[in-house]
Amino acid sequence: MYRSQKLALRYFIAAITLFGVMIAAGLLSALYYIDPALLYNVFDFQMAKILHIDTLIIWLLMGFIGAVYWFLPKELGREVVGIWVAELLFYVFCSAVAVVAVVFVVVQYGGSNEFSMWFINQGRKYVEAPRWAAVGVVAVVLTFVFNVTATAWQARRITGVLGVLILDLVPLAVLYLDAFPKITNMSHDLYWWWWLVHMWVEATWEVLIGCLMAWSLMELMGTSRRIVETWLYIEVMLVLGTGILGLGHHYFWIGTPQYWLSIGGFFSALEPLPLLGMVVHAVYDAGTHHMKTTNRPAFYWVLAEAFGNFIGAGVFGFMMTLPQINLYSHGTQWTVSHGHFAFWGAYACGVIAIMYLVLQRTRSAEHFDSRAWKWGFGLLNLGLVGMVGGLLIAGITQAIYERAEGGSTLQAFVAASEHPWFRSAMYARFIFGIVFALGYFALVYDLLAIGRRAAVAAPTQAAPA
Amino acid sequence: MTSAALFATSAALGLLVLLGGAYGVLYALGAARSSPSLTGAGYACYAGQLLLVLVVCLGSPLASLWKLFMAVSGVVYGFIPPATWRLLDSIHHNQLQ
Ligand code: HEM
Ligand code: HEM
Ligand SMILES: [Fe+2]
Repeated sequence: MYRSQKLALRYFIAAITLFGVMIAAGLLSALYYIDPALLYNVFDFQMAKILHIDTLIIWLLMGFIGAVYWFLPKELGREVVGIWVAELLFYVFCSAVAVVAVVFVVVQYGGSNEFSMWFINQGRKYVEAPRWAAVGVVAVVLTFVFNVTATAWQARRITGVLGVLILDLVPLAVLYLDAFPKITNMSHDLYWWWWLVHMWVEATWEVLIGCLMAWSLMELMGTSRRIVETWLYIEVMLVLGTGILGLGHHYFWIGTPQYWLSIGGFFSALEPLPLLGMVVHAVYDAGTHHMKTTNRPAFYWVLAEAFGNFIGAGVFGFMMTLPQINLYSHGTQWTVSHGHFAFWGAYACGVIAIMYLVLQRTRSAEHFDSRAWKWGFGLLNLGLVGMVGGLLIAGITQAIYERAEGGSTLQAFVAASEHPWFRSAMYARFIFGIVFALGYFALVYDLLAIGRRAAVAAPTQAAPA
Repeated sequence: MTSAALFATSAALGLLVLLGGAYGVLYALGAARSSPSLTGAGYACYAGQLLLVLVVCLGSPLASLWKLFMAVSGVVYGFIPPATWRLLDSIHHNQLQ
């Protein structure tokens, strides 16, 4: 195994661990909706939620980085350039995450001054980490981009997938810088912040996961390079063509000019179309290669990725992306419902699929199967769909009773939050959250155990390709 | 928008894309297994989608430009599964030569 691939495994362990922290924080966040007085002034909702969504971003990023460190040396047939810096920075990264988590839990918040920005919380949703840690993240990401480009440079070789990946990593990394500026005008601030969130999840991350899925398909089903690359180019063009200006669906109500209503509505309403193409592609591959796969867990998680991306992002996004609907749904649990489904479908499922793919190689298991992966797969997806369904009901209740009928007053907000539909939906979300958490344990157990017995029978290490 | 219209319109929009997805899946399954009945079920989903487009255009309070958009994209949805399938087939085919 290359050193870069060993580093990939470390990144996966960190990612799965943070995934667990994220679930714990999510369950806690959900409890405040059942008992709003919970831990009042001790550990308030916003801190639990910050932990939940920041660990979400970090574990997915770690999963992506690990996946690239895994595939890169295979792709180029050589060790990654400057791998020792990457190995060092992995520990720096993990320590920084731990310190930030402790600060979030213990210190929580500070005054509105420079000190707080540097050492407690930088303030932008999803990337709240204080400045010193954010500088660390920039260092990790720069090293990562350097590793990838320098390795390709030294190998004097570039493949289609790798070329797309490199072109994508640059804007992806630059967008993170959006976490830094201190902007006092609220509209300007949100205007730029949305570049980070939207251009990540609906543009650069989509391209990144597209590259990773392309590599995965070649491994998993032996699809040829020409095929996955041709497909990747077309998908990337369509996703970027609709996704970039789809940004406008976040510019409806933040004080930006009115033309964004049309631009945002129009382009984002086109976004489901390429996702539909991916679903057709998934069925095509499943139909033609299903019998050939020796790694059923990875195969099913890849399928879940294609479908989850389409339904979570495409269907749930489309439902509320036209300005006339979004006027009512904006900022309700409806958005939260979509956010969960889309992140899960588009990214979490993809990362889990890659982990299974990688483990099959490291454990040299010819037939990679178990009972536990089915429990993990079933419980996680059932829990997620249940949560998302509850949140959708809660969100529609808010849109109707708080917005359409109540006229968005504070009184109406409180009334909708006390509506029986809303309250039952919050209980349902919590219960399905528990189901999801059980699925997580099954997943972790399976990731530790699957393929081990086969490895004893055939103890050869995966040799460098 | 009244709350009833809001509910109906958003449900129709969501269902419409979902039916588009079901059309894509069934069409592709039908093509993979050369099963006319699966393909037919796919077309039925697409017909349902078009019906919903009609409902949205005639019954919802969306602005007329959005209705036009829905009508056009409703037609576009019809082409995506067969076009994608043909594209996939042709790149696989080229590969075999
Ligand atoms: C046990 C499982 C989970 C529970 C109980 C849970 C609960 C929650 C809660 C209570 C919030 C705060 C919503 C609000 O502000 O009202 C939240 C936000 C969020 N969660 Fe989760 N979550 C879970 C799993 C996940 C997973 C698996 C993902 C993604 C893969 C995810 C992504 C998000 C995102 C993106 C937000 C921010 C949404 C927004 O503010 O619009 N969560 N979650
Ligand atoms: C993988 C892709 C996607 C992911 C991970 C994702 C995730 C999210 C998240 C987390 C939010 C809440 C942001 C916040 O307020 O903190 C959001 C908002 C939104 N998303 Fe997506 N999304 C994706 C794709 C889409 C697509 C394709 C559409 C449209 C068809 C869409 C439409 C929307 C809209 C309209 C909002 C704004 C909701 C509001 O604030 O009123 N999203 N998305
Ligand atoms: Fe967006």
